[in-house]
Amino acid sequence: MLTRIAWRNVWRNKVRSLILLCSIALGVWAGIFMLSFSWGMSIQYVNLAIKGQISHIQMHQPEFKQDRKITYTIDDAPGRIQEINSLPGVRASCGRIIISGMISSPTSGAGASISGIDPDQENMVTGMATNVIQGEYFESKKKNQILIGEKLANKLNVKLNNKVVLTFQDIDSHITAAAFRVAGIYKTSNSSTDELNVFVKHAALSPLLGLEEGSVHEIAILLIEGAEMAPIYASLKAKYPALLVEDWKALAPELRLVVDSFRMNMVVFMGIILLALTFGIINTMLMAVLERFHELGVLMAIGMNKFSVFMMIMLETLYLAIIGGICGLLLAYGTIQILGRTGIDLSAFAKGLSAYGMDTLVYPALQNNQYLEIFIMIFIAAILSAIYPAYKALKLNPVQAIRKI
Amino acid sequence: MLLKFAWRNIWRNKRRTLITAASIFTAVILALLMRSVQIGAYQRMIDNVVSFYSGHIQLHAAGYWDEKTLDHTFVANDSIETLLNHQREIVSWVPRLESFALTSAKELTQGSLVVGIDPNAEDKLTHLSQKVIAGEYLEEKDSGILVAEGLAEKIQLGVGDTIVLLGQGYHGVTAAGKYEVKGIVHFSAPNLNDGMVYLTIPVAQVLFGTGERLTSIAISIEQNADATQVATVLRQRIGSMPFEFYDWKQMMPEMVQLIEVDSAGGIIVIAILYMIIAFGIFGTIVMMLAERQHEFGILVAIGMKKMKLATVVVIEILMIALLGTLAGILAGIPIIAYFHANPISVTGEMAKAYESFGMEAIFPFSKDINIFITQATIVFVLSLVLSIYPWFRILRLKAIEALKS
Repeated sequence: MLTRIAWRNVWRNKVRSLILLCSIALGVWAGIFMLSFSWGMSIQYVNLAIKGQISHIQMHQPEFKQDRKITYTIDDAPGRIQEINSLPGVRASCGRIIISGMISSPTSGAGASISGIDPDQENMVTGMATNVIQGEYFESKKKNQILIGEKLANKLNVKLNNKVVLTFQDIDSHITAAAFRVAGIYKTSNSSTDELNVFVKHAALSPLLGLEEGSVHEIAILLIEGAEMAPIYASLKAKYPALLVEDWKALAPELRLVVDSFRMNMVVFMGIILLALTFGIINTMLMAVLERFHELGVLMAIGMNKFSVFMMIMLETLYLAIIGGICGLLLAYGTIQILGRTGIDLSAFAKGLSAYGMDTLVYPALQNNQYLEIFIMIFIAAILSAIYPAYKALKLNPVQAIRKI
Repeated sequence: MLLKFAWRNIWRNKRRTLITAASIFTAVILALLMRSVQIGAYQRMIDNVVSFYSGHIQLHAAGYWDEKTLDHTFVANDSIETLLNHQREIVSWVPRLESFALTSAKELTQGSLVVGIDPNAEDKLTHLSQKVIAGEYLEEKDSGILVAEGLAEKIQLGVGDTIVLLGQGYHGVTAAGKYEVKGIVHFSAPNLNDGMVYLTIPVAQVLFGTGERLTSIAISIEQNADATQVATVLRQRIGSMPFEFYDWKQMMPEMVQLIEVDSAGGIIVIAILYMIIAFGIFGTIVMMLAERQHEFGILVAIGMKKMKLATVVVIEILMIALLGTLAGILAGIPIIAYFHANPISVTGEMAKAYESFGMEAIFPFSKDINIFITQATIVFVLSLVLSIYPWFRILRLKAIEALKS
């Protein structure tokens, strides 16, 4: 009964109700869309970093992290990699030698992090072969091939098949230099690491360093999409107690932060938008109550109790807020579905984004529980903004209200 | 007269005026704080890079920026010095010789950027001596070396230890030298802190075998914003000599773009906020018009010009908007002033995440007057646009019908 009266009341002043509905729907839509954009960007950023660079899990000697001494190696890498690959949920894994050194061309020099890799394994984990933009990915059998980033190639002023010299320390701390030929030039979405990382074959690097065959500094493990990380992490930890096993959250705390802080950002951001909406709702409903003083007075005089009046106003407000909120949610859902497929092109800012490892095509996305959380926030805001106008109606003195014109 | 009339009108319905003004107040203060922290952060970011290292403008030999090799170096002749000394905006300029080298201590080796500096001049531009945390700053004819803190930790080195530099010099000669660590310097930007060493220019020139040559002159000017313009003037003055001038925007396009993207995000959020507030104000206007039909009818009937009446209503709207804006700005000033003097500094993981992007985790609020002016202008324009509706409604008012309502 009360619900029907309230519903009819809402539509007695159509223009006003529609303005309020529109403002709520648009506010919610714009807010959710912004959120989905930033969530999509964050998730893409994290996935890109995991798939292209750090992988889900990495293992090192515990001391290697502190000072990257060449002697902190993991031995028998091929055997271990085979073991790891047989674990359920693991898609691929690869071993790397990692040393820091200097790369020089006839004209210039730069610091470099040199990775000694097994090309096939590496490609399974990071998809490195697809990043090659010039030349090839260790396909020929030539000796001493090197893969360098486009940015580094420009810096050193070298082209395909040019010679570069790598200088580094070997296992006995002697400075060693070796010439490599540029077999390929690669480009990832993170230009700052492209400038630093160069890749050579494991088999070419390890004799130069004097390392035992099969020794690596790092094993990176990529999981099957959607696989639970925790059990694999636990079984690796149990299997290799002497090694330091770390998941991507530990390897790159800034990535974890991106994901973890999103929820707080979402609450703050939606909170601001809802606060602004609340003002609109209170203002409108208060007007609605005040201009209906006479009518409300009559209702009370003929026997409607105060609680019913209070509930009636609450319901009117809730109807408006929730219908507006749902319209906004649906509108946002539709927009996200469409743009989530086509993506939003930010290539105008390509340089700045790729310097920080971000993709230029952003796919807005939002998880179902995030929609739910936002809906709950809207509901709470609706109730809060309904209380004051309804309370005003409650304070009404029927005798005075009727007298007033 | 009209002003007084409008002023009295808005206080006839105090609650509505206050709620509307409060909603504008909220939007203005939120927008102010958001913009202030954003612009403050960008300013800090730019200042960090510009004043810690790059300077506002740099002078190089033509072609150096595209291909940073010691072969693109120059000898600072008198005409350059006269040019720089006579340009009014230039506060100071410092000569430098930079190149890359491997840095070894005992058994550990790391890549580093070697910078030959003029200790006194450099100190004036980048305040390098204040960043010395152990040992002493370089003197004019010093043979010692300054090492950045992060690098010193990596290669386990302290004041008084000996460090070996190995790299490539002028025209490809081998550059090698042995130096005593005179001091350790601390930078808050991690990329600097992990890889900088400083020598005096003569020592660096001997190391790299460049004779009297320099790679760059960093120029600092009075106003950050003038950099592009001053660089253009300098380019014209230098004429056909083989030199190039780069301002900081050209040297760091990635940072400029990142700031643009981030700033665009902030602007969209503020736009959403104002859109919602605009709906709120519009709702108020519609209600007010409906409520006051009778009153308007009487006024027109007793001879008030519709034009005048419409003007009064528009003034009322502007007054309410002004009230909200002024209150927002007045409340915002002390908050912004406080956080400008006492910047928010983030600690823990959040700080690490910012540092991994090369930023300091310190957020001073900007008290740029433009932020205030922008918000005030937005609200003013918004109110004017919203006033179009009541303006036309009143001009088309039919007195008889209005009186009947």
